[in-house]
Amino acid sequence: MALLEVDHLSVTYTPRDQPANRAVHDVSFRIADGEFVGLLGESGCGKSTLGNAVLRLLSPPAHITGGRVSFDGVDLTEADEERLRELRWVDLSTVFQSSMNSLNPVIRVEAQFADTFAAHKVPGDVTARATELLELVALDRRVLRAYPHELSGGMKQRVALALALALRPKLVLLDEPTTGLDVVVQRSILTRLAELRRELGFAVLFVSHDLGTVLEMADRVMVMYGGEIVEDRPAGEVLREPRHPYTRGLLGSYADPRLPEVRVSYIPGRPPDLSRTHTGCLFTARCPHAEDACRTTHPDLLPDRGGLVRCLVAQEDRLPVVTLGTAEAHTALGSHFPATAGLDRPADPADAAPVLTVERVTKRYTSRRGLRTSSVEAVRDASFTLRRGTVTALVGQSGSGKSTLARLITGVERPSTGEVRFTGGDGPDLRVDRLRGRALRDYRRHVQMIFQDPFSALNPTRTIAYALSRPLANFAGLGGAAARERAAQLLESVGLAPAGQFLDKLPHQLSGGQRQRVVTARALAPEPRVLIADEPISMLDVSIRAEILELLGDLVREHRLAMLYITHDLLSARLLADEVLVLNQGTVVESGPTREVIGAARDDYTRLLLDSIPNPFAKATGRAASPSA
Amino acid sequence: MAYFLRRFVFFLGTLWAAVTLNFLIPRLQPGDPAEAIVSRLAGQSESVDPAQVQAIRVMLGTPDGNLFDQYVQYLGAVLHGDFGISYTYFPYSVTHMIGQALPWTVILVGVTQIISFVVGTLLGTWAAYRRNSRVDSVITLGSTFLGTLPFFWLALLLVYVFAITLHWFPERGGYGGGSSPGWSWLFISDAFQHSVLPAVALLITGPIGWIIGMRNNMVQSLGEDHTRLAVARGLPRRRIALTYGARIAILPNVTGFAIALGGILGGTVLVETVFNYPGMGRLLLESVSSRDYPLMQAIFLFTTIGVLVANFLADLLYGFLDPRVRKVESA
Repeated sequence: MALLEVDHLSVTYTPRDQPANRAVHDVSFRIADGEFVGLLGESGCGKSTLGNAVLRLLSPPAHITGGRVSFDGVDLTEADEERLRELRWVDLSTVFQSSMNSLNPVIRVEAQFADTFAAHKVPGDVTARATELLELVALDRRVLRAYPHELSGGMKQRVALALALALRPKLVLLDEPTTGLDVVVQRSILTRLAELRRELGFAVLFVSHDLGTVLEMADRVMVMYGGEIVEDRPAGEVLREPRHPYTRGLLGSYADPRLPEVRVSYIPGRPPDLSRTHTGCLFTARCPHAEDACRTTHPDLLPDRGGLVRCLVAQEDRLPVVTLGTAEAHTALGSHFPATAGLDRPADPADAAPVLTVERVTKRYTSRRGLRTSSVEAVRDASFTLRRGTVTALVGQSGSGKSTLARLITGVERPSTGEVRFTGGDGPDLRVDRLRGRALRDYRRHVQMIFQDPFSALNPTRTIAYALSRPLANFAGLGGAAARERAAQLLESVGLAPAGQFLDKLPHQLSGGQRQRVVTARALAPEPRVLIADEPISMLDVSIRAEILELLGDLVREHRLAMLYITHDLLSARLLADEVLVLNQGTVVESGPTREVIGAARDDYTRLLLDSIPNPFAKATGRAASPSA
Repeated sequence: MAYFLRRFVFFLGTLWAAVTLNFLIPRLQPGDPAEAIVSRLAGQSESVDPAQVQAIRVMLGTPDGNLFDQYVQYLGAVLHGDFGISYTYFPYSVTHMIGQALPWTVILVGVTQIISFVVGTLLGTWAAYRRNSRVDSVITLGSTFLGTLPFFWLALLLVYVFAITLHWFPERGGYGGGSSPGWSWLFISDAFQHSVLPAVALLITGPIGWIIGMRNNMVQSLGEDHTRLAVARGLPRRRIALTYGARIAILPNVTGFAIALGGILGGTVLVETVFNYPGMGRLLLESVSSRDYPLMQAIFLFTTIGVLVANFLADLLYGFLDPRVRKVESA
């Protein structure tokens, strides 16, 4: 008998005023004692719903509509509230996604430990036990006295992990535990997690959209698509030869940024609408290998190459053979999908005309507490140039000063010392750090932003046409039919064609990728010379990231824009940027052509960033991601 | 500590600003109060005798000197609780009139406000705890329905049924003709009898806001991830409802309650008018309708001070209840 047994589990959302949504459909799997299983999938695939169903944490309108979950022989789907309460945490604990507030904000960390011990009548000294647990996750005992808001995201997540281990459970369900954290922090937490698992021997169900992390950490990987498990095989096997076309597509969106040639691919199209009934394979619409039978026959999850795969073509062995593990093979995998990003590049970016120059800029923030003043240098003596038709990536951890530099360039803030010069306009050169009032407003049409979160960057109550008409009215004086026509052109230029389908939609009717395209179109509306893209793909699904990168790259070349690409993700910087600046605590520690900086990093900090990237190929190529620092 | 000190300095600042505005606004108005009184006494068409005006000025103690001297005098008077003579209740001082009315209001409105808050918060917590159950529907729909009824209509209905038809309670006033104010048993029981109907009127509508506010806040805090994690941690339901739900949901209501308590000093005009209750609300209404400026000014000042003090206390309490606020201030 396995530790966790899930049999034919289905979960349906039945909202009051919308059609029912079959989020999880007929899912079965086992987890053995001490096993580390990854559950991989993109947003909306049902992985978190499945996790919550296993924990019996679903809240209306979600309901388990069939199947059962049993843990250590106890049927969780039938157990009553009190029985569940006794089981919870003692045998089965969880860590939620790091960006969420899973700690009670108004009580101290120690009280949250005390709560847990009291609920399960654990005798003994709470402080001593909690201190011990914090030591497991490398936190100081002083954290016990802190309130959650006094801790950083990484520290909170360590506390959550310590809390999850408090009663020495047999299984820990980790739901996106490091999403939203810095790569370096993520690396240190994952390393600690792996060590703890070896020491304590608990089993893990690791739910994530991040293929790199899952493949690196897990013994076995389950890939979910459209509420179903489509592939369930040992991680090593998946890496050697992914069998489901969807898994292949996901793997194609990864690459080692240090390789001399980097290619990634994306999966075109959108996931299926689970409120409708489908015949045939759910992935057919996006699948490059789909055959006629795929459209009519729904495949079963059948044994295949050391695991289970739900694909007719794979089961009949008609899938092109791909063996991963070498750069060449990975390139070949990428080309199974129609487009790749990040290929052509101008010969020498230094030749292009400068549009904006940042010279020896320092930004100091002073804060006063009582009579004492303290100052922080968010940016220290930074110099760089943005050039026409090229992308400059600004890479660094959160808090490294990336966003401050963006604010200095847009004129929202002024540098303490140094100059920001705009030389890309038709008129005379502008000193951005001295502009005010009307002149600043006029300058802003030249510098536009693409934001990180496409979900909050658009007013949810206004149509796409309206969102695009605002900059057109403000900067180009266009109104009425002229604005609408121009808005349609803009939408088509970012690949939303025919534009008529999108103009009168509201943001919530579009997917994340489509919204980010609208945000991009809006940034293009005033015909800017400089585009600042602040982590534009980090909130998007892995399978479509390359698609947006490709769009941004094309726009830069086509419109001869200068782009500042702000990111913590070195792979995307490698794909998109001509030049890279690495920022560490406000100082530019390394800069130069992308291939040189990333391919042969000289600075320790750059190397730390590179080593921290989850690397699914580390297992296959034997290059282990070394946890430094 | 820095947080509490900062709140106190802020409180003193607003208090000074309120007192100063109270001084300035009447002086910015055109016209002379003494002339206004005389012309009202004499009727509008008749000319005003300067001697009469002078006499009234002397009587009212109209200030002299330049604006700054007046301001200093005014501050001194306010500190001593001297607000001058009431025009309508001459020769009683404003302080005397307020002293007469204040206890009635403070006891009636204060007690009902506290009961409303406690009952409202408890009902709201219960409704949120049993969300979407019958208890929740009854509480939520019931309070929404009562909230839509016009207050004066409800009050008049109470008077009609329980005073005029059933004769259970007196229909108007704060005490009967048979007793005189004092600490006698007779008077206290008489005053209690008189206060029942206005108190019931206030208690019917009072908790509604707290119920809805508390329920909605708590439904939200029960939907937060820390609550879900608390469930996953196997915490008892009651503990989750109190520490993870109500403890967080009550925060905004605490501020609201403190401000409501501060507002007591202004009285409740509607209730005191319907029941002809001798409190601050009725005094305010009378002072406004008879243009009794000193009285009006003093009542406004009292209300302002009440709200400010209550706000200050709410800030202190909030800093105590919500650790996040302290952090923001010291960051």
